[in-house]
Amino acid sequence: MIRKKILLLGDFSVGKTSLVRRYVDGAFDDKYLTTIGVKISKKLLTINGIECELLIWDVEGSTPSKKISLGYYRGASGAILVSDITRRDTVKGLEEHKTIFLNENPDSEFVIAYNKSDALSDIAKENIKLDEDTFLTSAKDDSNVEALFLRLMEKMLA
Amino acid sequence: MIHIQSILNAILSKDIFEYILVDKTLNIVNISSGLDKYIDKMPQAGDDVLEILPELVGSEKEIQAIFLNKSLNYILETVYKNEYYINISIEYYNKDMVLVLLHNISDITLSKQKLLQYSNESVLLNTTLQKILDNQNALLFVTNNNEISYTNEQFMQYFEMKIIADVRRKDLKIYDYLDSNLKSYDALFERVNSKEEYVTINKDTFILQATWIETTHKLFTLTKVTKLTNEMQTDTLTGAYKKSYFNTHLKRMIQNKEEGVLVVLDLDNFKNVNDTYGHQVGDDVLREFATLIQKNIRGDDVFARWGGEEFLLLLQHTNIDNAMKKIESLRDVVSTHTFIHIGHMSSSFGVAKKEESDDMHSLLQRADKALYEAKDAGKNQVIFKKI
Repeated sequence: MIRKKILLLGDFSVGKTSLVRRYVDGAFDDKYLTTIGVKISKKLLTINGIECELLIWDVEGSTPSKKISLGYYRGASGAILVSDITRRDTVKGLEEHKTIFLNENPDSEFVIAYNKSDALSDIAKENIKLDEDTFLTSAKDDSNVEALFLRLMEKMLA
Repeated sequence: MIHIQSILNAILSKDIFEYILVDKTLNIVNISSGLDKYIDKMPQAGDDVLEILPELVGSEKEIQAIFLNKSLNYILETVYKNEYYINISIEYYNKDMVLVLLHNISDITLSKQKLLQYSNESVLLNTTLQKILDNQNALLFVTNNNEISYTNEQFMQYFEMKIIADVRRKDLKIYDYLDSNLKSYDALFERVNSKEEYVTINKDTFILQATWIETTHKLFTLTKVTKLTNEMQTDTLTGAYKKSYFNTHLKRMIQNKEEGVLVVLDLDNFKNVNDTYGHQVGDDVLREFATLIQKNIRGDDVFARWGGEEFLLLLQHTNIDNAMKKIESLRDVVSTHTFIHIGHMSSSFGVAKKEESDDMHSLLQRADKALYEAKDAGKNQVIFKKI
């Protein structure tokens, strides 16, 4: 069985923990409880006949005064870069998360989640530029969460 | 080894550390008895440490390096495990084993988390409030000593500024736009507090309001007169302003003792148009007349429909000589214009200059009388009536 470590990275309160909870437990709670440190969840899945154990590192969000410990990045095969689509600064912040992640893990893959899409109107959603590695997600209404993780796994196994 | 074990036991007796001894194949050799509080299923000797601590997956190379170099160690901080926060550190034990220490840091981490939660919620609240403020009308906060302390994004965008220092550098004084006699925001506040004033800035009309924010700051709000507001203030047939809107400008001009000229104007023989061509054509003629006047006046002149075929025109910040030239040219424009359905028409103008003793009523009455005199004098005339 293949084991893969992936990270969820992004600013604080963009919904990283909620995405993991939705993906692993199929649940959602909109109460905000900030993550401190890291919490690791496991998910077993089979992709193209290959059994994989996904180790999902829900890493604390970076805040204006606190950056993420580089120790968490070690040995990661992939990352989901998460932003809150209703907070422009968190979308801008993705670039910095991507740069740090790829510096630590140059051969790794990543996908992007514009999370909290449930807060957008249909018209607003249509105006957002997406591609095969960029998803509009909502942990609240379970929109594109499965597809997001699946895409990252496909890229890591390719 | 016995020596280290005894030290470990001493530390472990304080219930701070748990440990796992791991061999080069990363299989467990030995564990401390309290490990089960972090891990649901108690591991056995020979188990894969990566199964027990998946936190170490991806760090296999770093762990192997410790076997070869005593001075190396590996630390992973603040890992949430089974409702505890722990630090995981790996150190050299002997050439065949490394020591994985699990350090319970829950108490201190939970305190940190409370602080972080509070701080993050404050940042989110602040961001939300900022968004709300920026989506409001243009806002200006002024301190008791007349210094601008805050402007929102709408304000900055309208005045094409980026930072609050620009407001000071450009010496922007909102009160100048309302009345050049006002000398401070205190004076502006006294004038505007508990009511509304219309203020024209760069050809845009704003409703200016003021209110206290605590006792230390005054808040001024500039609400741009939007299309909808315009429609509410506009006569639906002709597109000229309604009398009520005209009155606010007239009243302000009188209150502020500003220079200005009031004109009452109408189309000559308009009743004949209605009688001969019908009311539909009459409406078209009124619309055409209003458009003609609007095209030939300045942006800050106020043109309104009084009723029927009678209109009002307020020429602000101008003297009577210039006003008379303008009104004469309007008379000429109308008389030489070819109206769509009926050809040529003429118009008459009654003019009154605002004097110090005037109120709204006296000024309107004088201009109205002047219009009657213009009619009596044969129509297609401009008559100026002095006090």
